Amino acid sequence: MPDRSHTRPPRAADLGAFAPIALAALVLALVPLWAGDSRSMMTVVTTGLTFASYAVAFNLIFGATGQLFLCVGALAGIGGFGSVIISDRLGLPFLVTMPMAALLSGLFGAALSWVAVRRSLDTIFTGIVTLAFALSFQSFVLGRPELTGGENGLQVAGGADTLLRQPVEPYYVFLGLLVVFLVVYRVIQRSHVGWAFRALRDDDAAASLAGIDVARYRILAGWIGSMMLGLTGALFAHYRGFVGDTTYAFGSVDVRVLVMLAFGGIGTLLGPVLGAAVFTVMDELLVDQAQVRELIYGVITVILFLSFRQGAVPALTNAVRRLVGADQPPPREASSADTGIG
Amino acid sequence: MSEPLLAVEGLSAGYLGEDVIHDIDLTVATGEVVCVIGSNGAGKTTMLRSMCGLLPATAGSVRFDGVDLRRLPSHRVMRSGIVYVPAERHLFPGMTVAENLALGSYPKRPDPAQLEIVYRTFPRLQERLGQNAGTLSGGEQQMLAVGRALMAEPSLLILDEPTTGLAPVLAQEAYGALSELREGGLTVLVAEQQVPLALELSDRGYVLDHGRIALTGPSSELATDPEVRKAYLGI
Amino acid sequence: MVAVLIDGLVLGLQFGMLGVGLTLVYGLGGVVNLAHGQMAVVAAMVAARLMDRGTATALAVAAGILSVVALGVVIDRTLMQPVYRERSEHRVLLGLLLMLGVGFIIDGVLEWRYPIEALSLRITGGPVEVFGVAIRRGSIVASAVIGVVGLALILFFRYTTFGRATRSVIEDEEGARLCGINPGAVRTVIFGLSGGLAGIVAMTQAMTSPVVSTAGVGLTIFALIVAVVGGLGSTSGAFLAGIILGLVNTLSAFYIGTFVSSIILLLAAASTILLRPEGLLRRA
Repeated sequence: MPDRSHTRPPRAADLGAFAPIALAALVLALVPLWAGDSRSMMTVVTTGLTFASYAVAFNLIFGATGQLFLCVGALAGIGGFGSVIISDRLGLPFLVTMPMAALLSGLFGAALSWVAVRRSLDTIFTGIVTLAFALSFQSFVLGRPELTGGENGLQVAGGADTLLRQPVEPYYVFLGLLVVFLVVYRVIQRSHVGWAFRALRDDDAAASLAGIDVARYRILAGWIGSMMLGLTGALFAHYRGFVGDTTYAFGSVDVRVLVMLAFGGIGTLLGPVLGAAVFTVMDELLVDQAQVRELIYGVITVILFLSFRQGAVPALTNAVRRLVGADQPPPREASSADTGIG
Repeated sequence: MSEPLLAVEGLSAGYLGEDVIHDIDLTVATGEVVCVIGSNGAGKTTMLRSMCGLLPATAGSVRFDGVDLRRLPSHRVMRSGIVYVPAERHLFPGMTVAENLALGSYPKRPDPAQLEIVYRTFPRLQERLGQNAGTLSGGEQQMLAVGRALMAEPSLLILDEPTTGLAPVLAQEAYGALSELREGGLTVLVAEQQVPLALELSDRGYVLDHGRIALTGPSSELATDPEVRKAYLGI
Repeated sequence: MVAVLIDGLVLGLQFGMLGVGLTLVYGLGGVVNLAHGQMAVVAAMVAARLMDRGTATALAVAAGILSVVALGVVIDRTLMQPVYRERSEHRVLLGLLLMLGVGFIIDGVLEWRYPIEALSLRITGGPVEVFGVAIRRGSIVASAVIGVVGLALILFFRYTTFGRATRSVIEDEEGARLCGINPGAVRTVIFGLSGGLAGIVAMTQAMTSPVVSTAGVGLTIFALIVAVVGGLGSTSGAFLAGIILGLVNTLSAFYIGTFVSSIILLLAAASTILLRPEGLLRRA
């Protein structure tokens, strides 16, 4: 089996933990063979990868440490608008401005996390505070057109004439980013910190009693996840060559990411990727019925949370386990895939 | 002998699939005051809650006034003539004493005559009618909990540890009020850790130990039983 | 200046009534109704469709309001039942996500079937002079309607048996059950009432400016902010917060600008959570 987990030299026993990432990367790497002839199809699948990255980052924040960040789009937008504006104003190359913008997103995310932890906000109030943040960001984008272009948006100079504007190449850049994120997620999940995360999600009080520094791990997750969001948002901006008021809007990013993650399985490694893939395909099938798309999203959300709360990845791995029986060891994913929101 | 007011047979119940009480048999006749004594964790609360439908029973039957209570949701049980006063009281802290009392007679409007009885038993409540329940002292809250229960004009009043959180003097006072109500003909089932008070008040008693009825008999006999004296009276 | 203040007051009353509906449903069952604004729009759209077909205005308005009462009852009896079986945080999260889905469904249906529908109940006639200030007739009728409904609500919660029972479930669900109150039935009735209140708000909004089919999300967000600032679960808090925020919103939009005013509203919500959590987390 191809193994791409060499990004972090692992012990032999660890290799299995990264196999699902390698497998997913391999499958996704083959997509351009089928879609590569069509520029519009490549845009669709590359956007799909962007959402997969958003969902992995959101999963780190919400799935792993239970912080309902309803500002995924805003944090990505800080990265996107930040990188574009810095590179325009200071004339820096996007390779420099993207990490700068990601740090900025990380700063905001960590600050939100810090506030939530310090005031001991529960899920719902974390959700409302971050939603208020997201909507404020949206108002800022619309209300400061001299900086953000307002409703007209901004043309992005940084990234033009580079491989980011080629038809197929950007897909692999995004895929690389996604793989790095997945590896980071896995490494964190398997580290000492990851055990803390899991203890945390299962029971705050018990985790506190067990001597885990709840606050620090939450803020750490908020910080890393937000940097991921900022970086993805920035890369997306330079790839698309345009950022506007809807690029990172709550309705176009957060809602989709939440539904994707819920579909794939909150707190699972590959759930976000599967969710993003399924919804990218679905969007493409519904491209001519754009007006019913929101209706279908709504119906799926309701059905999902009523009857299918674990998400697809745990449901699939359970099914596979039952089919395969005891002869073969279950895939590693199954053993560490945790259940849904419960 | 005619059927008792409350007849519990073979009742078992618990949490998370594990029974805490096993095979409980218990009766209360009209006009009787019956106590259930036992140490902390013996299953007294579990038993009372499952009798009232607040906790699903796993086996057994609860008949009250000829009706099978296990078929009823808890709020219907409370309208059938039983009223349960839990140790935590569950008052409405942001509502006035008057409103708390009025809710006791839900769905009917409060009956003035019954209000009179409550005021006579607990004059302090009448003084504080306009005050929010949350601002009352512990003793007054206990009075309000019993008062609210009385507003339903129950044919059986079930009390779970009415002395919880009360200083000894107040506990004495609470039992004083209960014995007044008893004189008025009220039927009472009371679970209690304060064994001397409970045995003094009641006609009959049950000793609950590790979720089973260990002993039963007239309260006067239980009070002189060597086992009971050793375990609960510290003599 | 006075005219702006009055506009703000009308908006504030409408905000307050939206917030009350949201806060009641949250207080009773822990459900944050993220489709609250969409329900208001449904009432408006039902009325608009009926009026397009020639139904008398009063009848169409009544039918619109009743239709969301029914919608609220149905949602509570079906989708919300598994939510009420959950406890604490899981309940809140599941309720919130399900209602988010319901919001998408309503918005999706409206966008698909009636993208350009709008309800206008413009009240004819010139402005009325009150103490030397010219006020639009629509504003007067709108605030009168909300004032009457608000007063009726206060009397209902204070003096009727069912109103008190509702408050008791918000205060202590177990205690209510001990009094023989069926919390499930109370929740169903109040979910319907909350829908009806949202419908009434939509009707009063249509008296001064058309209510369009896409207005739902915006109304939901206002309702949420108002309910949070007022303290989730507190009806009087929600009403007061609505009036204050309506005034703040209108004044800052008039003197500073629309975008700044919405940021001010959001900051108000966020800082309430951060600065007065004890008041807000009372029932969380």
